[in-house]
Amino acid sequence: MNKKLKKLIMCTVMVTLCASAFVGCGSKKDTAKTDAKVKDTGTFLANTTFKSDEPLEFNMLYSDAPNYPYQKDWLLFKEITKRTNVTLKLTTSPASDYSQKRSLLISTGDAPLIMPKTYPGQEVPFIASGAILPISDYVSQMPNYMKKVKEWGLEGDLKSLMQKDGKYYVLPGLHEKPVQDYSYIIRTDIFDKYKIKVPTSYDELYEATKTIKAAEPNIIPWTDRYEFQNTLNLAAPTFGAIAGWGYGEGTKYTDSKTDKFVFSPVTSEYKDMLTYFNKLVKEKLLDPQSFTQSEDQAVQKFVNGKSYIISGNSQSITSLTETMNSTIGKDKYKISKILDPAGPKGSVLAGNHLENGIMFSSKAKDNPNFNQMLHFVDWLWYSDEGQELSKWGVEGTTYTKENGVRKLTSDVTFQTLNPTGTKDLRKQYGFSGGVFAYGGSQDLYLSMLSPADVAFQTAVDKTMTILPQAPPVLFSSDEREEANLISKPLTDYVNQMSLKFMVGNQSLDTNWDDYVNQCKTKGSDKLVDMTNKVYQETKSTLNK
Amino acid sequence: MAKQSRQYKVFQVFNVILLLLIVIITLYPFIYVVSQSFSAEKYIIAGKVNLFPKGFNINTYMVIMKEKYFWVGYKNTVLYTVFGTLISLAMSTLLAYPLSKKRLVGKKLLMPFVIFTMFFNGGLIPNYLLIRNLGMRNTIWSIIIPGAISTYNLIIMKSFFEGIPNELEEAAAVDGSSTYRTLISIILPLSMPIMATMTLFYAVGNWNNWFGPFLYFDSKDQFPVTLYLRNIISGAQQSSVSSGSDADELAQIGATIKSATIVLTVLPILCIYPFIQKYFVTGVMIGSVKG
Repeated sequence: MNKKLKKLIMCTVMVTLCASAFVGCGSKKDTAKTDAKVKDTGTFLANTTFKSDEPLEFNMLYSDAPNYPYQKDWLLFKEITKRTNVTLKLTTSPASDYSQKRSLLISTGDAPLIMPKTYPGQEVPFIASGAILPISDYVSQMPNYMKKVKEWGLEGDLKSLMQKDGKYYVLPGLHEKPVQDYSYIIRTDIFDKYKIKVPTSYDELYEATKTIKAAEPNIIPWTDRYEFQNTLNLAAPTFGAIAGWGYGEGTKYTDSKTDKFVFSPVTSEYKDMLTYFNKLVKEKLLDPQSFTQSEDQAVQKFVNGKSYIISGNSQSITSLTETMNSTIGKDKYKISKILDPAGPKGSVLAGNHLENGIMFSSKAKDNPNFNQMLHFVDWLWYSDEGQELSKWGVEGTTYTKENGVRKLTSDVTFQTLNPTGTKDLRKQYGFSGGVFAYGGSQDLYLSMLSPADVAFQTAVDKTMTILPQAPPVLFSSDEREEANLISKPLTDYVNQMSLKFMVGNQSLDTNWDDYVNQCKTKGSDKLVDMTNKVYQETKSTLNK
Repeated sequence: MAKQSRQYKVFQVFNVILLLLIVIITLYPFIYVVSQSFSAEKYIIAGKVNLFPKGFNINTYMVIMKEKYFWVGYKNTVLYTVFGTLISLAMSTLLAYPLSKKRLVGKKLLMPFVIFTMFFNGGLIPNYLLIRNLGMRNTIWSIIIPGAISTYNLIIMKSFFEGIPNELEEAAAVDGSSTYRTLISIILPLSMPIMATMTLFYAVGNWNNWFGPFLYFDSKDQFPVTLYLRNIISGAQQSSVSSGSDADELAQIGATIKSATIVLTVLPILCIYPFIQKYFVTGVMIGSVKG
């Protein structure tokens, strides 16, 4: 080829290559400003079915749980569209990384309008950027939600969601009665064998394990799982402290009279709790490995008959039964969940009426169908009809209702109900899934439980006292960061030391004062003072 | 002479023992997973399964084979891997070959650019924004194009090409071969070891890639099987265990299902290795000894 021509071509290519590097630059095209106003569709009344005049589509984030994988053709979605004329356009994310996907979508501005499965607390990082909607401003458009809040007296609980500006940003799931599903599962046959009556308090639990130990010296009767966090969470309120899953930052509200926060881990009540568990470990009644072993290891000991007490919930009974039918032999054992034992402060429960809920993108309020969306969410998640649909399905197809008693149709199975059924309520139809079916009236909640669970929940309701919720402390994001700087290492220290005290590596008699002083050095007093200060300053917002 | 051979024998014994130990440590978890997948669930929970399956059955495999999304995921993974590897190979070769020539104009400028990308990255959000603004979200390009050329692999290829004697090309040029003809007919056939190695590296990378699809795909129909597997293994445990209201969400996927899915996901890659094996050692040693 002609050398000059070649050179010319080379130059052109080089210039084009370099120019293409600048392709990415350029001003953003102004999207046509539609300025569409939000349609006003009038009032939506409670206990009426929401139906849109024209077909609507709302974008929603969906957490795909592996135990009931999402299917496009679920009856749940078909029925929702049939009744409301709304189609949900889902962005699916595997449940394993749901929160990460949600964060990513919000941070990049791609957030769908509706984001369920948001636990109170998870919405906080997104508030400062203005990416999510302060839903409390719009709940007047949600009559079913407001009705339930009023009927069940949840105004006080809602305050715990309040942020510094007096608004809340997540629409929580509501429970008429707090759900307490965790407790201890015991080998009832062993208890019967040694003529021990079912313990109703921690002292009785101690005596029971002592009796078992005396009869079977080689067995450690109680070996626990969840790294003991569940047990601590259950026991702490009965001793007057906070620990385990319910620890938070360690600042415990005293009561409405003294109206302040204290640092629970250095109180005498907390020490009493540690003393109790240390006593059990010392006398070899409680397995010291409970605090660190994996769930599998704990369960193995129980199902192989090497221990007789373990933490669990109603689901645990089902899975343990399945296994123990083969490891020990059907009819050769019996397990049951005992009522949460009472402690020195009585039979109390730190129950919560609120649970995971829905977060909305702040772009929702610019959507012309915003009011419709609010009405739709209100109907599906908070009306009796919507909740029954999500939980039970379609009357006649998946369940029947006679005199107010609901029963799954014979071929439909769900957990322990109708074990011979071939169609799983969740897998085949999409009902009773965690994204749509949660919260609700006590009647609805009990309707799907096994008789044993109903008995348990009724007993909880009758005998246990729900502790009042602590008022929220409305930290600003800077204050919260400051508090976190102290509370994180402090929490680690408290957990470490609590473990050592319970296991016996540190003595509660001689080392306790050192521990208290160390907590103070690590900033426990500062944390409490900060909490109290912010609480007093922001108290007035709570009463708005 | 006798002394030397005894020392050598001692060394050999130690060597073999050490390597056997390493083999056992790395192989055991895998054997454990495989035997779990063939065992009955109850034995696993009871902790009785160690090396060999107990209660041998292939029920779990049957159950998984019936899962629609397992096959959808598998099909997607195969698609992404084959397509992705081909594109990666083509693009890497096209970049490595010119870079290996000393006479490339602007080579001194280009190399630092390329190396820079090995150490620095735009970050998660900027990458996401870029892909989204290019309109590649929810398409196969979002996971194939961005990572198409791995700088590390590129440098290995470049070193290999540098090792091919220039005289060959000159001879080809004398015979009237164009640059492309030289590349395809002369260089590539000589580069089988490096091509095989790169195929393996890229294929494994694409096969295992779950994060890209997780970021850029919104619909379950596009997820690869690794994402399906990840959801099975971690998804059931992710629910917050704060108050017991998620009792039913904690229903664990059986240990057998997890192990069987793992085995099925790993199997194809495992099968490719023996074929690539003989090229592997040569490929990895590339560039260590010049000339």
